[in-house]
Amino acid sequence: MSSVSCIELIAFLDAYVDDELDSETRGDFDRHLLVCPSCRAYLATYKETIDLARGAAEREEDLAHDAPPELIEAVLTSKSRRPKS
Amino acid sequence: MLCSTIEHATLSPMLADDGYLVERLRTGDDTAFEELVNHHAGPLLAVTRRILRNEEEARDAVQETFVAAFRGISAFQSESRVSTWLHRIAVNCALMKLRIRVRREADVDALLPHFRPDGHQDHSSVSWSESAEEILQREQSCALVRQCIDQLPEPYRVVLVLRDIEQLPADVVAEKLQITRDNLKVKLHRARQALRTLLDPHMRGAAL
Repeated sequence: MSSVSCIELIAFLDAYVDDELDSETRGDFDRHLLVCPSCRAYLATYKETIDLARGAAEREEDLAHDAPPELIEAVLTSKSRRPKS
Repeated sequence: MLCSTIEHATLSPMLADDGYLVERLRTGDDTAFEELVNHHAGPLLAVTRRILRNEEEARDAVQETFVAAFRGISAFQSESRVSTWLHRIAVNCALMKLRIRVRREADVDALLPHFRPDGHQDHSSVSWSESAEEILQREQSCALVRQCIDQLPEPYRVVLVLRDIEQLPADVVAEKLQITRDNLKVKLHRARQALRTLLDPHMRGAAL
């Protein structure tokens, strides 16, 4: 029987993912995950969420790599208006 | 952090020599400044867009980034990468604008998991049908993920962007947002859970 409930596991899931739990608590979490398919699914999708957020941003960056010419122009103009330090 | 991707993806062989570029910037070489702007403005705009989600403000933040960089070039530590240094300035410029907008603590409770009195999940979670890697192959899915991030209440969205996407250290983010590290940790966990809830109905079937 697991000594950890779903609510406890999910409340501290970030600490579990970031490996911040002491070994005894981590063991309790592992035992709960072994017998609870719902928490196993929650853990997997929680990790996948982090990967998706990061991956989608990287893809966005790949697609929009060049700054608009008017922005480049504005930056260069604003610099030329300032006295050299 | 993403700026490490930026470094490898955008720097020409000449610009890869940060020391040479910085030396020219310090002597007031206008061509060096143009090179700096041309190579870094795009990736920096992607960063400020992610934080601000407002095109005009994002462009203003990039402009302010280069002005601040030009003024501060004498203080640049040569052991740093230019791209990392610019990334830090851009995040600061974006956050300065964001503080004007973010004042209210938005409620995220509706997007957090719910539990029965016995401590079990109210609704059983199920695995998603594809891995993140497979899902990210489709531009339509990437757009959906970005839309879901945009739906997060502002303080949570910002924490998720700075920690999980820009991958800034916790201490730095806590200081920038003027919250404690513990508060930051709670907010990040809630932001991830809320985003998971928003993605879940789309990802169960996947093949978007």
